[in-house]
Amino acid sequence: MKTSISTQLNPQNFQSNSVIIHLDNVTKVYGMGEIQVQALKGVTLTVEQGEYCSIMGASGSGKSTAMNIIGCLDRPSTGSYYLDGVNVAKMSENNLAKIRNIKLGFVFQQFHLLPQLSALDNVILPMMYAGIPAAERRERAQEALIRVGLKNRLNNKPNQLSGGQQQRVAIARAIVNRPVLLLADEPTGALDSQTTQEVMDIFTELNASGMTVVMVTHEPEVARQTRRIVWFKDGEVIHSHLTPNDLHSAVF
Amino acid sequence: MNFLESIKMATTTLVANKMRSSLTMLGIIIGNASVIAMIGIGEGAQKFVSNQVNSLGPNVLFVLPGSPDSQRRPVFPPQNLVLEDAMAIAEQVPSVEQVAPSLNGSELITYRSNNASASVIGTTPEYLSVRNFDIAKGRFITNLDLKRNEQVVALGSELAQQLFGNEDPIGQSVRLRNMSLQVVGVMQPKGSSFGSNEDMNAFVPLTTMANRIIGNKSPYGTQVTFISIAVDSQDNMAAAQFQIENLLRLRHKVIDEDDFTVRNQKDLMNILGSIAGALTILLAATAAISLLVGGIGIMNIMLVSVTERTQEIGLRKAIGATQSDILIQFMIESVILSAAGGLIGTLIGVGGVLLVGALTPLEAGISGVAIVTAVSISGGIGLFFGVVPAKQAAKLDPIVALRSV
Repeated sequence: MKTSISTQLNPQNFQSNSVIIHLDNVTKVYGMGEIQVQALKGVTLTVEQGEYCSIMGASGSGKSTAMNIIGCLDRPSTGSYYLDGVNVAKMSENNLAKIRNIKLGFVFQQFHLLPQLSALDNVILPMMYAGIPAAERRERAQEALIRVGLKNRLNNKPNQLSGGQQQRVAIARAIVNRPVLLLADEPTGALDSQTTQEVMDIFTELNASGMTVVMVTHEPEVARQTRRIVWFKDGEVIHSHLTPNDLHSAVF
Repeated sequence: MNFLESIKMATTTLVANKMRSSLTMLGIIIGNASVIAMIGIGEGAQKFVSNQVNSLGPNVLFVLPGSPDSQRRPVFPPQNLVLEDAMAIAEQVPSVEQVAPSLNGSELITYRSNNASASVIGTTPEYLSVRNFDIAKGRFITNLDLKRNEQVVALGSELAQQLFGNEDPIGQSVRLRNMSLQVVGVMQPKGSSFGSNEDMNAFVPLTTMANRIIGNKSPYGTQVTFISIAVDSQDNMAAAQFQIENLLRLRHKVIDEDDFTVRNQKDLMNILGSIAGALTILLAATAAISLLVGGIGIMNIMLVSVTERTQEIGLRKAIGATQSDILIQFMIESVILSAAGGLIGTLIGVGGVLLVGALTPLEAGISGVAIVTAVSISGGIGLFFGVVPAKQAAKLDPIVALRSV
């Protein structure tokens, strides 16, 4: 089992390694029988290694559904999804969990830190599921927390941290398993404008060091700091390569 | 995540929710403590009973009215056992040493403003030696008292204390059903036997009891409710019992079923032992039910906890936990809860058993079997009742779980 997963995880002869996300005519239908909702109506999208990309769109436009599929939390109804060269559209639940663990890093609007664990232990958590030895886990968690500027907050519980600090712990947790893709779902939605900027600076810096970053946001100021904007409307991608400069003219 | 880490993680979670964890454990603690205490006390009761029976001496037989079958039924026995039967046994059965018939009742005894509810035993002088009683002060019932229907009484030590305090009871008069009885003696403390306090007895002449106090209800002679018989040696017990039974069958003109019962020490031991055994089972069953309820409590809390922790479960899944990771996590939590509850419950149960042993005449035993059973049952309960919530947690859809607020 283990070997088959690792071969699946290895980039295959699909495309060049530089493509991280490739959605190919992906649809997603919710519900059964007569009441069906088509959340995605054939989305094709490619994100390459090192991109800094935001997904925008009105609520109900399908951007969250697309995000869930990109994050391997959900599977497309039809179409294929290659993540880092591996088709994950038909993978089993267990293999998807491993993909999420190793290849993806998640940052959520609500932080989702475990309140009973310290910042360090929260960051250690994904490495526990990855089966990394205890000593290495600690070292890497510390490194990640230092990287997001929380050197002095290692042993604080989430309720002893500000919102911005909590989100930074969440970012450290997302990057600690060295994912190929960092996914953020409204990462600044629960933050004020100043901490929003602090958090965005971290994303920008991570991207600068080579990390592929994709975030869903509805805040134009946030989207403007990324380099590429994908616009969803009614379950379809209507603009796939907007630049921050286009944002104003194209939409507002 | 390896197993040891899972345990550590579960402990962290449980410690973080101290209140909830301890309340959940409470059910298991109570269940376990009661199983161990109840079985211990039940065993103590059985031991106590056998000690009591042995203390009667090996050579005592008892005759009771009513067939052996009817002894098991809660009906009033017939009034066909009489003083004359006792006298016949004393005269005609060679190995019988002494016979002490008695007619028992429960009455209120008054001295001035003090009163006490006593077990009044109408009997003969032989009672003293057959049943191993001793007189502390004054004298016991005499044959002359019997002949004259004298209104005299010998009081048990505790009864005398309750009625007279520090006063000397000898020569004083106590009232019983509007009748005045003169106190002629006080007994030595004897303690309890078969659940009745022998020091709250009041001994009166059998004739007085039958004729003046409760009234003679038997058409066959002077009614008695109990005949205690001392046999000269243990070897003659079987023969004596056989002869007594034959004699009474003749006297009572028994055709098919006996209308009396002769009991020996072994019979008593069996009867009382089986009562104590049934009691133990009853207590253990009750305790087992509370253990079950405790287990259901764990399931309940774990189910609530799954609902409460959907976001945590969603997050764990998002960062790479598989279904089995989540399943194991929740299972471990409930097993830890019930095992810890089992351990604490065991300690409390053992403490309770020791306390009972110290405060009562019961020599309550700490049963290793009970401890092992209770702890493994509660561990099993944790596993069993943990499965449903854990499965529910494992199956949660991470998207739904993360979105719930």
